[in-house]
Order: sequence, then structure tokens, then C-alpha cells
Amino acid sequence: MIALAHAVAIVLYLAAAGLAAIPFARPIRAPVRSVVWVLAAGIAIHAVALVQFVRIHNEPPLTGLGPAMSFAAVLVAITLLTVEALAREVSLTLFAAPLAALLTGFASLVGMVPGPEANGMRGVWLTSHIALSFLGIAAFATAAGAGVMYLVERRELKSHRFGAIFRFFPPLETLDRVNHVAVVAGWLALTVGIGLASSYALEYRTGHAIKMVWAYSAWLAVTALTIGRVVRGWCAHRAAMLTNVLFAGVVVLYIAFRVIDPLKGRFL
Amino acid sequence: MALIVAGLSHHTAPIEVREQVAIAAHETPRVLEELAQTTGASELALLSTCNRTELYVVEGDAAATPGIWAHLSHRLGGGADAAAYGYVRRDREAAAHLYRVASGLDSMILGEAQIQGQVRDAWEASRSTSRAILNRLFQSSLLVASRVRTETAVGRGAASVSSAAVQLAKKIFGSLTGRRAMVLGAGDMAELALQCLVGEGVRTAIVANRTHERAVTLAERHGAQALRYDDCWPRLADVDVLLCSTASPHTIVARAQVEPAMRQRGDRPLCILDIALPRDVADDVGTLDNVFLYDLDDLRSVVATNLERRRQELPTAESVIAEEVELYWQWVAGLAAVPVLRTFRSQMNQVREDELARALKKLAHLAPDDRAAVDLFSRALMNKFLHEPSVRLRAASANGHGLALVDALRYLFALEPADGDAQPEDVPESESR
Repeated sequence: MIALAHAVAIVLYLAAAGLAAIPFARPIRAPVRSVVWVLAAGIAIHAVALVQFVRIHNEPPLTGLGPAMSFAAVLVAITLLTVEALAREVSLTLFAAPLAALLTGFASLVGMVPGPEANGMRGVWLTSHIALSFLGIAAFATAAGAGVMYLVERRELKSHRFGAIFRFFPPLETLDRVNHVAVVAGWLALTVGIGLASSYALEYRTGHAIKMVWAYSAWLAVTALTIGRVVRGWCAHRAAMLTNVLFAGVVVLYIAFRVIDPLKGRFL
Repeated sequence: MALIVAGLSHHTAPIEVREQVAIAAHETPRVLEELAQTTGASELALLSTCNRTELYVVEGDAAATPGIWAHLSHRLGGGADAAAYGYVRRDREAAAHLYRVASGLDSMILGEAQIQGQVRDAWEASRSTSRAILNRLFQSSLLVASRVRTETAVGRGAASVSSAAVQLAKKIFGSLTGRRAMVLGAGDMAELALQCLVGEGVRTAIVANRTHERAVTLAERHGAQALRYDDCWPRLADVDVLLCSTASPHTIVARAQVEPAMRQRGDRPLCILDIALPRDVADDVGTLDNVFLYDLDDLRSVVATNLERRRQELPTAESVIAEEVELYWQWVAGLAAVPVLRTFRSQMNQVREDELARALKKLAHLAPDDRAAVDLFSRALMNKFLHEPSVRLRAASANGHGLALVDALRYLFALEPADGDAQPEDVPESESR
């Protein structure tokens, strides 16, 4: 049931990306309503899979690599849906929907096996930390997606190419605003999420050095971007470029730590 | 009944001819009344714009085109024949023509949207002489035009240099509402571009020109601020769009002037639109980070790309039109076929009854059962004879080919509509789609 729901959700995420790509095949506007509905259907089916997981294992899908990836994927999709519904702009689907599909596919491949359980207050603490951290990373990924689109469109505009990207990407200003809002939202969520994790580690004398190094690195990256944007007035090209460099750095660091970590099961 | 359109347009007549035959809005009711009398048309509508003068007519008993050409030739004067510059389309072709016109496919600038409003106005102005068939035609043409605009890209993208400039600026800033713009130069092109920018909601517009008086005049006309040319550079850091349109024979905006302004602007982009020829802005200004520099060739390239895109959409738009013409024509043919079929059957039945009465008079010796059998036989025979033509006429009406058959039937059997049969004029407008 969970595997089937995951498969349907993947198909729907990819279908949403396909619909958003229609303007590149035919010179018409993207069917915003259809993209939003297909994406919403994907999220609904995905949510069914996660609810089923909770019913079977009696715990939220936050611990264990598979469940956490699946949860992260649904958060990416929900963030995307929120941005699309508010901005009536679906081109971000081209990047974020395949990312959600990829994470869901990865979750299915590694298996929906829960990690070590934590009950009572510890459980709530842990759950809140993981949920907020994932939300922060999903927002960071959205900012990076908007940043990639900004750089691609800027390149087209600077080199005076007026093709499909010129016609169908949103204005640079819109992409910059999405990047700004996503960076700030990501920083807020990550700050609270990592704050909870740090206090949890201190309280229960537990912790995993590599995981903490990676989490603080991600937080530092988002914090640097937030300070740059809010205090120093970074925007446009510089903000898009730095978002992508820092996000790529965080992803590379994650992969490196996954490879070298002797306790792979404890590090997502 | 025949639906025709007769007229002339930018495809067939030069502007000198078009302006002679153009009919002003205040003349429309009088002209339509006159033409209704001279042509005997049962319905009339007039569409007259700077690019076309066309009359849509549902013919009565006589052909309407001679009266139309006579009227247009009279307007043309000098003994000229308007028919030499014109065209006539009939039935489906006439409907398809209006659909193309309303959708902007027949316009001078492919896909322009203004014509849709002009078609609506023409219909409104012709309401005194239009009935069900033309009302339905004009109403459906507006719906077809909306469908074509929604389902295809024939109306998308800028189609003039000034609107392409706005399109480029919007691609960088999104909405231009509240933005600041500076215009260098005070000529006609500068004014046109300034008008477009102000129309898009640019908050502060500055006009700088070597002749300060001209800058003041232009600024006053558009609620902008005038500056002396030498005083404008310190203000460059505050503007989002710089529009250059001077008559200077050499470049007047150099990297040295823009670079300090960009440093002050931080990361905020600056859009420079150079619509002057020779160009006002040095090439290397475009290499500065966050500067987006476009010249006249770029703007023309945007326009050309948009128009090419519009042209590529023509087959899709034509297929929408063909589909809608079929629907309209089915409606028209159905409208004509039902009363004619009813009259046809009623008339044939009258013939049967008369002939039966005559025959029974000679067969007075027949018993009542036998008389009833003869009556039944005559009915069966008539029904057999009429069944196939009725079925075929209904089928032809359903697929839009019935109108000629209806006319043929009327002619061959000298049919007049029976009392109480629905006439096109009686069809309530709510049924018109």
C-alpha cells in the first residue's frame, strides 16, 4: 500500500513537472490550475502513504532514512504548492517537483523502515526538531531552485536571447522574491529545529558528531544568506549565486558525510 | 436564405480607398436603413474600422451585393467601382471570415486585440437591422475570438517596438508600478516610450534633454520631471529604467557614467533601453553586472520573434474557427430545415387529402371498411415517399449541409412557411448559444 501510494505520488509529481513544461513545447501559457491540482493530488496520495506508515508503526515518519526522505519530499511538494498557489506561477515546478519525486523514489528504494523510537516528551522533542529541520531544508532547496532559475534567465537576458525561457520564466524580480522569502523561512525553521536538537542533545547526553557538524554547516549557510539578504541588502544575481553555491556545498557535505560515517543508520 | 459578407479591407484596397468608403459610427443607422431598403436584405450589420468596411447580410429574395457595391461606389465617388477593391464571401465562408476578423487573424498586425471590441461595437450599432442569424453570428464571433486568444498564442507578446521595450523591462522588474524611469531625449520616439512607461505605472519619470525647454514641455505633458542633460547623471543611481532616444550622432552614455551609479545601486538591476539610431549607449555598458542593455535591434528581434510565434499558431487558430463555423452552420441549417419540413409534409398531406376525396367520390360504392383501407393506403404511400427525403434533409441539416437542400425543396415544391412555423426572427436571443 505504502509503496503503491509512493509510486502514484511520483507519477503525479512528474506529471505536474510535465504540465509545467508545456510552454517549452507549444507557445501557450502553462496550465496553472492543472499543475496545482496534479501536484495537490500527488501530495494527497503521498500523505496517505505517510498516514499508513504511522498506522502501521505507531510513530511519525521522521526517523529512519526512508521515512525521513519521504517526509522531506512531501514537505518540498507542500512548499512548492504554497508558492504556486500564492504566486499563480508554476515554473518552479520544473525543478522542485522532480526533486520531490526523486526523494520519494529514494525513500521507496531504501525502504520505509522506522529508526530507533523515542517516547513521551523525548518523542515530541525529537519529532519537532526533525520536522522543523526538514522544513528548513525544503525551504533552502526552494530558494536554490529559484536561484537556479534566476541565473538561467539572467544569462538569457544578458545574452539577448528571446526564446522559450524569456517567454515563460517569471520575471527576475519574482524569482528574487521567492529566493528571499524561502531563505528567511528556511532560516527560521532551521534555527528552531537545530535549537531543539542542541537542547535535546544536552538534556539527554546524546548526539552524533557528524550529524551535528552537517546540521550546523547547513544552518550557518542559511544564516549567512539571511544576514546577507536582510542586513546587507544582497539581492538579485549575488543572492542567487550565493544561494546555489551554499546549497550545493551543503548537499556535497551531506554526501561526503554519508560516505565516511561509520554509523550510517543514524545519519539521514 | 444566404449569408454574405461584402466589403473591402487592407488586403484588397489602399488606404486612400478605405478612408473614402469608411462609415463613421454616427452614420451607421442611416446607412443600414438605406441599404435594408435598397437591397431587400432581411438582416444587415456593418463593420467599419480603419482597416476594413464590411457589410454582413442575410439576403432576402433578391441578391444584395449590387446594392452594397452601388452604395460603396457612391461613397468612393469619381465613378469608381468599389467592387474592384472588394470581396464577397458566402455562407460558411462568410461566417469563417467574421470569426477570423474578430480573432485578429485578418488584421494588419496579426493577433491584435482591438478588433474584438470593434466587432462588439459594430454589432451593437447594427442591432436595429440584425436578427437571429446575424446576432448569433456576431455573438459567437466574440466567443470564438476569446477561445482563439485563450487556446493559442496568436495574441501573445509585444508587437511594436515600444511595447517590446515595456515587455523587456517587465521581464526584469515584474510590474513597473512604482518604478523610476529616466528618458534621455525629447523626440517623438522618446514621447511614445514615455507614454508606455507612464501607462505601466512608472512612479517617477525624468526627462533630460540638451534643449531644456523641450524636456519641460514633454515632462509637463506626461506628469514627469524635467532635468538639464548635465544634471541627470547623479540621478541615475535612483532609476530602474533608463530610456535613451536622443538624436546625438555619437554615444552619450559611457561605462564611466554608469559604473558609479551601479556601485551606489548595490545589487539592484538597471534596465537600459537604447532606442536611438545611432545608438546612445556604449557597448561595454552592457557588460556591467546587473545592467541589462538592449538596443533597437534587440527590440525588433523581440517583436519579430513574437510575430513569428503568432504566425506559427495560425493552423491551431484556423482549426478552432473551422470547428466553430461548423457549429454555427448546423444551427443555421437546423433553423431553416424544421419549418420547411413541416410545411412540406403539411402541403403533401393536403394534396393527398384532396386526391383521396376526389377518388372516393368516384368510388362511392365502397364499403366503409374499404374506404378506410384506401385512406390508410394513401397515408402509407405518402409516408413512404416522404420518409427518405425527410430523413436525408434532417441528416444534412445536422451536419451543416442542409441549407442548399432546404432552398431547393422550397423552390421545387413552391413551399411557403405555414402559420405558426418558427422563423429566424422568432428565435429568442437566449437560445442564441
